[in-house]
Amino acid sequence: MKRWLERRNWPLGTRGATVLALLCLGALCAWWLQLSPSGLLPREGGVRLAGQFFARALTPAWDYETPPPEGTPPLVMKALEGARRTVVFAAAGMSLALVFGLVLGFLGSSAWWPQRMRTSGVGPVVWTIARAIMVGMRSVHELLWAVLFLAAFGLNSFTAVVAIALPYGGTLAKIFSEMIDEAPRDSAGALRQLGANGTQTFLLGLLPRALPDMWAYAFYRFECAIRSSAVLGFFGFETLGYAIKQSFENLQYGEVWLYLWTLFGLVVLVELWAASARRRFVA
Amino acid sequence: MSPQPNAQLSLHELKRRRPRERLVQITLLLLVLLTCYAWTCGDIHLNDLDLARRTENLERFVQEDLAPYSLRDQEHSWTDVAAWAWTIAVTRGFEGALQTLAMATVAITLSAMVAFLLLWCAARTSATARPYGDGRGRETLAWRAVRMSTTALFVYLRAIPEYIWAFLLVAMLGPSAWPLILALAIHNSGILGRLGAETVENLPPRPLTALRTLGATRTHIGLFAATPGFLSRFLLYVFYRYETCVREATVLGMLGIASLGYWIEDVRTKRYYDEMVLLVAMGALLVLCVDLLSAWVRRRLRQAS
Repeated sequence: MKRWLERRNWPLGTRGATVLALLCLGALCAWWLQLSPSGLLPREGGVRLAGQFFARALTPAWDYETPPPEGTPPLVMKALEGARRTVVFAAAGMSLALVFGLVLGFLGSSAWWPQRMRTSGVGPVVWTIARAIMVGMRSVHELLWAVLFLAAFGLNSFTAVVAIALPYGGTLAKIFSEMIDEAPRDSAGALRQLGANGTQTFLLGLLPRALPDMWAYAFYRFECAIRSSAVLGFFGFETLGYAIKQSFENLQYGEVWLYLWTLFGLVVLVELWAASARRRFVA
Repeated sequence: MSPQPNAQLSLHELKRRRPRERLVQITLLLLVLLTCYAWTCGDIHLNDLDLARRTENLERFVQEDLAPYSLRDQEHSWTDVAAWAWTIAVTRGFEGALQTLAMATVAITLSAMVAFLLLWCAARTSATARPYGDGRGRETLAWRAVRMSTTALFVYLRAIPEYIWAFLLVAMLGPSAWPLILALAIHNSGILGRLGAETVENLPPRPLTALRTLGATRTHIGLFAATPGFLSRFLLYVFYRYETCVREATVLGMLGIASLGYWIEDVRTKRYYDEMVLLVAMGALLVLCVDLLSAWVRRRLRQAS
């Protein structure tokens, strides 16, 4: 079995076989789930709802659709406030995730461990533990972390921050460790030959070569964190998702579209920023 | 070899002359400021970190809520706990996990197909009046419009999170598997489309241009030169997104669609936290297995290319 799996020359070649396997698996799963195109037609009431909802796509509401209680800020301000909160939770979560990611990423990269510790036994143990923690943090989705923390600690702002920080920290750690291990070793080798010790070689030779990629990736994850932070609103934290959920359940589709466009604008803004910064980081 | 000019300079001079980018510096400064603002602006209440109360909550949670309900008031051994876990896994866990996996698979297949069809309209090398040319010649307005609108579509599709798409679609389509699959497919076709278009743009241009001068049409080059060239990388992206799809499919079930998340939400609303933690752990295990599978496939793809 193993030899068959490792064989190079599958019929069709690896890529052809992969494409075919993916298509067959997709069809098989669709059959098992009893998917039929008729499921795509909205159910009764759904048609009306879809019509009403999408009719507002290009004409979002600029003011509350039903008169709000006295003293509520205007709708646009509410959307912006939601966007601000979304960014605040994302930034706080990311800063914590960066700490987790850097510490675990260093411990989990094989380049961090000098040769002598690798053979003596301390290295492999810590490396394995760091890897296991990474996997554990990453395998649980941020919303599931949120659900767990809500059950364990109740609804408070730290719950949201930590729920973002844990899975993102795990992912950052994994990618960071790979980047450190795959960074060019030229300057590290030069430093080592000049007599630098392990820590100096790592910090001054290896790390600077990996740093631009690491920054670029962390920035990309910040963009993802904004989306996650918005979705956490569906669980009671006052980000954009909270407002979307409320307005949708009150059938105020114009307001929903205003929030959706706000989120869209926010994500695109960060993406453009990240893209232009990344181009200069990595080049 | 002639001595390099840099060798003459002092360290101070070298430091002064190092390449610096204003935008990068401003970006870093802004990000640091943003982080400081985030922690101090008052939305994250520092007194929420009231450790004594939190620890108390946590202790109650671990000691009372997490003990299996049916075994709570009696002596129980680990075998009893294992039997309890097995019952839950058989009644809900395994089926939920399989369904999660199936929906993620359908979704990724769909989004790979949609992305494959659309990305030719977004790549700068294929969506022009003179495809795979040497870059000279005038750009027609129509092609520019096609490219811009496809790119904008990709941006819109991926800017809105899967969860929000699913939330909206469940209301319209009802709680079948479709809203979940569509939500995942919409978001991922945006991502795969962009990554695929970038890959096509980055293909080595010479062979494609050569084919063009030999008289091959847009379709010929696309199907028989560009596709084989970019397929490996595209498949890498597909399998990388597959992991994410499975993660998300678990969670999207919380909106009332029968994946693992459905059962998690079910026991969450009933406050059966013991079962909830078990099901979350099962979800993590599923994600882990798919991670390993996708890493294996990607390694083989990399070896093959």
